[in-house]
Amino acid sequence: MSKRKMYLRMITASLLRRRSRMLIALLSIGIGATILSGLVTIYYDVPRQMSAQFRNYGANMILLPEDGVQLTRDRVEQAMAAIPGDSLVGATPYRYVRLDMVSRQQSFTTAGTDFEQVQKTSPYFHVEGRYPEGRREILVGKEVAGTIGVRVGGNMELTYKPAVMADAQDLAAQRVPGALLGGSAEGYNTALVYVSARLDDEGKIAAVEVDASLQTEEFGGRCAEPEFTNRFIGKTLPLTLGEDVDAMSGATVTSEAVVQALNTAVRTEKAVTAADRTINFTVTGILETGGEEEAYAFISLADMDAMTGEAGKLDVTELSVSATQEQLDAYVQAVADEDAGVAARLVKRVTRSETTVLGKLQALVFLVTAVVLLLTMICVSTTMMAVVSERRREIGLRKALGASDNSIRGEFLGEGMFLGLLGGVLGALLGFVFAQVVSVNVFGSSIMFQPLLLPIAVAVSMAVAAASCLLPIRRAVAIDPALVLKGE
Amino acid sequence: MLFRMIRGALFRQKGKMLLIAFTIALGASLATGMLNVMLDVGDKVNQELKTYGANITVKPKASSLLSDIYNVEGEGGELSTAYLREDELGKLKTIFWAFNIVDFAPFLNTQAALPAGEEVTVVGTWFNHHLDLPTGESLDAGVASLRSWWDILEGQWLDEQTDLAAREIMVGTALAQRANLHAGDTLVLTGPAAAREVTVAGIYDAGGDADDQIYASLDLVQLLSDRENKVSTIEVSALTTPDNDLARRAARNPALLSASDYETWYCTAYVSAVCYQIQEVITGSVASAVRQVAESEGAILDKTQLLMILITALSLVGSALGISNLVTASVMERAQEIGLLKAIGAHDRAITGAVIAEILITALVGGVAGYFLGFGFAQLIGRSVFGSAVEMKVMVIPIVAVLISLVTIAGSMPAIRMVLRLRPAEVLHGGH
Repeated sequence: MSKRKMYLRMITASLLRRRSRMLIALLSIGIGATILSGLVTIYYDVPRQMSAQFRNYGANMILLPEDGVQLTRDRVEQAMAAIPGDSLVGATPYRYVRLDMVSRQQSFTTAGTDFEQVQKTSPYFHVEGRYPEGRREILVGKEVAGTIGVRVGGNMELTYKPAVMADAQDLAAQRVPGALLGGSAEGYNTALVYVSARLDDEGKIAAVEVDASLQTEEFGGRCAEPEFTNRFIGKTLPLTLGEDVDAMSGATVTSEAVVQALNTAVRTEKAVTAADRTINFTVTGILETGGEEEAYAFISLADMDAMTGEAGKLDVTELSVSATQEQLDAYVQAVADEDAGVAARLVKRVTRSETTVLGKLQALVFLVTAVVLLLTMICVSTTMMAVVSERRREIGLRKALGASDNSIRGEFLGEGMFLGLLGGVLGALLGFVFAQVVSVNVFGSSIMFQPLLLPIAVAVSMAVAAASCLLPIRRAVAIDPALVLKGE
Repeated sequence: MLFRMIRGALFRQKGKMLLIAFTIALGASLATGMLNVMLDVGDKVNQELKTYGANITVKPKASSLLSDIYNVEGEGGELSTAYLREDELGKLKTIFWAFNIVDFAPFLNTQAALPAGEEVTVVGTWFNHHLDLPTGESLDAGVASLRSWWDILEGQWLDEQTDLAAREIMVGTALAQRANLHAGDTLVLTGPAAAREVTVAGIYDAGGDADDQIYASLDLVQLLSDRENKVSTIEVSALTTPDNDLARRAARNPALLSASDYETWYCTAYVSAVCYQIQEVITGSVASAVRQVAESEGAILDKTQLLMILITALSLVGSALGISNLVTASVMERAQEIGLLKAIGAHDRAITGAVIAEILITALVGGVAGYFLGFGFAQLIGRSVFGSAVEMKVMVIPIVAVLISLVTIAGSMPAIRMVLRLRPAEVLHGGH
């Protein structure tokens, strides 16, 4: 029998013969390793998991246009390529315009947005009712709902009044021969009148269409008839009512509006009518946030594009990014490097506070882990010491039979390390199960297995087991075998 | 005789008993430390979360729909018809949950013209306003702590406790760049009702709309716009309990709750209960929770507490197993002694009693030492993580005491029984 074989046999036999004691030692090492691997796994995963919780605070980065650039969906998409997809919790585009509720003579800021993303970037929004899902549905802030008195399920008709270009030079530049011009102006009771005019090759008006459907039908409504619109043919913009064209009798206000709309008309792709600029929305929900959002209404971007006639335009995009402060700073730089005309800015209130609180939490878990580990390891080694010092008699016997101190040490260390290996593997796996239970219960998501932790847990348990064997062995070896065997 | 035996065992086997006491002390300290930290972590994290700013805003009831919706272009609150009263602010610290109100600040906006003619919004508020309460306490409240994320780029925070405060302003970085203002500069602010010469105390970077504004003391803004004692909003930062079902029902209408539910709700620091109590003391006010802050705080608090509970449970199980393990080992080690006792005619019960008494005495010594050690650990964690002491919770003592005695008895009983089952002759012969 070779020496090594004998050594192995001695170790395993002694472990098997003294089953109950060794089970105790194994159990204690196992517990130590479980706590080690469980807590360390949690410690590494806490920032990631907690960071996801912190995304409850909403957007921590916003994308704004650089000076003199219009933010568009294409630009935003290009800029967002700089941010890795897996750390992006949500990206919500916003386009803010003021919409009029003609029937109540009220107007309020309305945001066109993507409601699926809103729920990701602003999880704290509390909606009574539900979020809009399709076209022609609107989410109304609590304050707005209070002012105009709408409830969930009610209807509200909203109209978009485009900003009127005031500069005469800019307006003249729009009147290119052959162009289609579109415009609108307030008529009777501030309701809008929409006009479109086609210019001929010499820049004179070739045809005019008026949509006066929002005006009183028997008066202003007549301005849409050819009797009135034909009066403009062959004229050159700008016009003056009463000089260039005569007003429709009984509809002076509407006639004035038509002329003003023509004078301020700008180039357009297709004729715009009241039906395009006005949508009758169904209120699907009332928004409660305790913040300024309560004074806004929210509609889908598709409706917003249709009403404004400007597809793809945005004012701002809110991003919720799960990342550390350094990573966020890097993303801001990366967005700038994309050169998409988009600048990223961090929402300081959110990022700063998140860093502070997350730092404290991590420090807390770290210290707790350190203390628990230290105490557990001491516990493990006291148990091991108890188990080994019990075997003083055996050590004495070996010595009496002529075993050298080193071979005794080697054998006991081997046993201890074998236990450490077994307990370490067992504990590392149990610890992962524990970490998984914690993660699922606390954060509702599973944890990543840290493969590096297995060798570390095994190494630490072997080291602790070996170290705690050493002290009692040394004491036993130092004693005279005769004394030990006599049982003193 | 029993005492003599126990005393003998304790002192003869000093080394072994010390080892057991040491292990029990470690286990007890782990349990004490973790329980103390766990019970206090909610308060501590809640305090940390206050860096997110106010979680309650108070507005005048008749308010400010007009100013909120129509003054987006910048009339700065002129149209608001109702205001809150500045002299009532101290009452915030007299409500039932006064202790939970960490900080608050009043706000009043006005438009004022810079010397160059630019119209800017001037926000009047408290910075570190000293307030003597009717209860005899005093506190410093204001934005210096409510806006903890602001960076002061130049100069320093406006100090309201100096005489100069009413003649100083703080300027947002964007505005400061545009108007070329620096700390120490003097300029004339022309408000709707009066003009005042002021000094720039500091330039701040708020990372938001406030970068285009001027922050000044409330007194100055009241003077500029001739609205003495008037306040348009109050921001309150309060420590609150995460909402549950009851809180949500109560938030809709407290009048619909049953008497006992109402009591529970009113006496719990739910954000809706605190809002309700604020409305009771501030005339004509509506207090509402800032959901962005209130809800997220609730989520994070819940998670942290749950996390700590589970870690505590793990370390309790760990220390329990560790202790019972060692106790089992030490009892089994004494097989010979027990065999001898049996051989000279001791009853099983007497042996069991003696061994358990020995171990319990050891456990008591270890447990007491462990309690104080554990309390030290809790303080270490509290001081180094949160910078404040962890409160000593009395309920931890009985929990740890029961835990340790159960664990030592549970650890020794099976071992004693096993040893008793052995035949004395075999044990004494040493051949088992």
